Amino acid sequence: MGVTRREFIKTSAAAAAAASIGTALLPGGIKPLFADSGMQWHKSVCRFCGVGCGVMVGVKNGKVVAVRGDKFNTINKGHLCIKGFYLHKVIYSKTRLTHPMIKKNGKFEKVSWDEALDYVAKKFNEIRKQHGPDALAFYGSGQAETEETYMANKLFKGCIGTNNMEGNPRLCMASAVGGYLTSLGLDEPSGTYDDIEKAELFLLIGSNTAEAHPILFERIVRHKAKNPNVKIVIIDPRTTPTDQVADLHLFPKPGWDLAILHAMARIIIKEGYADEQFIKDNVVIKGNDKKNMTFEQYKQFLEKYTPEYASKISGVPAEDIVKAARLFGQAKTAMSMWTMGINQRTRGVWANNLITNLHLLTGKIGKPGSDTFSLTGQPNACGGVREGGGLCHLLPGHRKVANAKHREEVAKVWGVPVKNIQPKPGKHTIAMFTALNEGKIKGIYIMCTNPAQSLPNASKYWKGLKEQFVVVAESFFPTATTQYADVVLPAAFWAEKEGVYGCTERRSQYMPKVIEPMGEARWDAFILRDLGIRMGFKKEFEKYQTAEDIWNEYLTLTKGRDMDLSGATYRRLKEVRGLRWPVPSEDHPGTYKRYVKGDPIFDELPAEKKKGRWIYFYGKPEGKAVIWARPDKGPEEPTDDQYPFALTTGRVLEHWHTNTMTGTVPELNRAVPKAYVEINPEDAKALGIANKDQVIVETRRGKLKIEARVINRPEKGTLFIPWHWEEWMANVLTIDAFDPGSKEPEYKVCAARIKKA
Amino acid sequence: MMNNKLGKILLALALGVFVLSAWQIQAGDGKAQGQKHPELDYSISCTECHEEVTPEIVAEWKSSKHGMMNFGCYMCHGDGQVEFKAKPDTEGCLSCHTGSPVDASKGGNLQCFTCHQGHTLKFHQ
Repeated sequence: MGVTRREFIKTSAAAAAAASIGTALLPGGIKPLFADSGMQWHKSVCRFCGVGCGVMVGVKNGKVVAVRGDKFNTINKGHLCIKGFYLHKVIYSKTRLTHPMIKKNGKFEKVSWDEALDYVAKKFNEIRKQHGPDALAFYGSGQAETEETYMANKLFKGCIGTNNMEGNPRLCMASAVGGYLTSLGLDEPSGTYDDIEKAELFLLIGSNTAEAHPILFERIVRHKAKNPNVKIVIIDPRTTPTDQVADLHLFPKPGWDLAILHAMARIIIKEGYADEQFIKDNVVIKGNDKKNMTFEQYKQFLEKYTPEYASKISGVPAEDIVKAARLFGQAKTAMSMWTMGINQRTRGVWANNLITNLHLLTGKIGKPGSDTFSLTGQPNACGGVREGGGLCHLLPGHRKVANAKHREEVAKVWGVPVKNIQPKPGKHTIAMFTALNEGKIKGIYIMCTNPAQSLPNASKYWKGLKEQFVVVAESFFPTATTQYADVVLPAAFWAEKEGVYGCTERRSQYMPKVIEPMGEARWDAFILRDLGIRMGFKKEFEKYQTAEDIWNEYLTLTKGRDMDLSGATYRRLKEVRGLRWPVPSEDHPGTYKRYVKGDPIFDELPAEKKKGRWIYFYGKPEGKAVIWARPDKGPEEPTDDQYPFALTTGRVLEHWHTNTMTGTVPELNRAVPKAYVEINPEDAKALGIANKDQVIVETRRGKLKIEARVINRPEKGTLFIPWHWEEWMANVLTIDAFDPGSKEPEYKVCAARIKKA
Repeated sequence: MMNNKLGKILLALALGVFVLSAWQIQAGDGKAQGQKHPELDYSISCTECHEEVTPEIVAEWKSSKHGMMNFGCYMCHGDGQVEFKAKPDTEGCLSCHTGSPVDASKGGNLQCFTCHQGHTLKFHQ
């Protein structure tokens, strides 16, 4: 050590001061700006959140050496958040899994691919023969490419014959799906990111946009900087970096915000901001019993939700609720955005409905700058899982297993007997892992996800992972889940495989393979193909020789569907920065707004059907969207004397999900090296907790020893823990109660207590 | 007041020149030779320490557009262990700013920091 910390601080301060006035004090070491480094650059898509930022991948001598923002991609225009900025470092992480392994006598042993796949095929076939197809399950990911999910869907639903085929988007997006289906009739947003620069008001609810979707946040910030009249209203229990641009922030007690949305609707109507003609033409109103209501009856229903009542329920001052409603009502255009704070709730679907109610009441939908816009957490949750049908009740192309016609259409394309596809939905995620615990599911294939850490009430589900036959296909080892595996299969990572991701704004984008997979890693889709062949489904799988073979077959299943991707061929996707469905032909430019002129499905509707209407929600009877009069339910586990704090979990900018990727990047680890629990200074003082004290956070499900961060971010009575670390596993505390409609768990709120360790 | 501020800047500059003249930068890799970041406490972030020891620099950074986006010190300076760049080069900037227009009238071998201040990112006066 040639320098002490004190000396360093002095010198770094001086250097920093010099740098801040721009003096070039250091000779050499600087390359010319925009120098051609001899690299080959390839157009691709970021591997992290669901925004879908375009990246350029720099390859030199067969290695990825750099990543840059793609300036021609209109989503991010060359900018990246810091996770994308370090993406290339993840590829060469020391934790990359490079060869198949089988657990023998409790220890992983390296084996050949033949041995690994033969073993998995033999075990799966034994289980299927002895216990039936429903004793097997697949658990996939919103990070898998559409082609990969498609292969898993065919193998499990079409060939093995079980609908126990799920994916982690159940844990993050299912309530958004339920919200769109029940409110608008079809899944996924009606608008796109193009609405950001046209919006006058943003309602950010249950979304820490600055940290979870930084590039969209940047677009909002830029838009507001150019247009000072733009207003931003936040509804969230915690102060976050997103507050830097907030005009108004409502802080509800976690899980108690439904009454606020009803109160806003009531004020909007009472103060004349409702567009009654729009409602009359394009909307029906339904009670929770699904029976139609008149507008008058709806107004009666809302009478209970005075600002004072909503204030009492939520803890938000009544005048702030009024202000928020007026801002929404007065704005010419409004865009609502939400993420897990709304979806991860036992009434997430209802919360989604109540946000959309505001847009349907005011007619702020289907017009530039107005949309009810759910943000996605994973890069292909929309494309692969929602559109590709990677959940237990779905089939490719926004189809359902319960629909006989849908089963026939899919079976025909898959080349399997229609009877193979069961009409009854399989087990949703929580039911699946419960069945694993109970031994009803005896074999599971887990691909590109880490449920031992990411499931709510995680430790409850380790039993099943320990006891049953578990196959994990993963790019990284070890993870919290691989320790329970009987077989681990090394999966090719981003840039080592080609395929398609579909992001939040209905945009499908192609990603090229630019380097060879590390070690013996293979592409997940072909691992599944080869497993299928070994299980006896040779004729069903041997035809897939390339990624394009799989994609082309998938496109035939999108033809004529609401999410028609027929025009998004590989040839075309390789040229453009993605296409937004519906895109029904190769000469179609893609669709900015659904349900209105310019949407090819709307344009082709018979005139007598549209009856002169400018918007037609064609997924609903008579093309009318639904305003829902839902009850205002609070969280499943409210606070009480024993557990007086509301615990909420979430994200930080620098890390992502269970840290298998971001945890391998030194810079990101330096930025946020460990988990912590945020506690309000008043609460900390009352409990004698000082900043950086070790504390115990406890819920009815588990305990966690963790460092306290005394900070004015959470409101009094609320605790917050970022959930990324295996060592400080927040999910041993979270609750696995789930929304009865969407089956999405209530990660976002449970009752907790805290004390000094 | 203004003179006082200017005096501080000049003093800091002089100190910086004195300190940094002892540093040898190896062309191209930007790693300080013979001068390293002191032992790191990996349980705290760059910002946690620097908020304490160089609060004005952190404040400047936070006032910048990058600071607003919550990008951290590591983005330019490295993690301090695997890589440490006391004087960052342009490579990192180009990951996002390949398309940024550059005023070529400034001369030939342009660098981002030729025009932009290191922490506020504002143009030099």
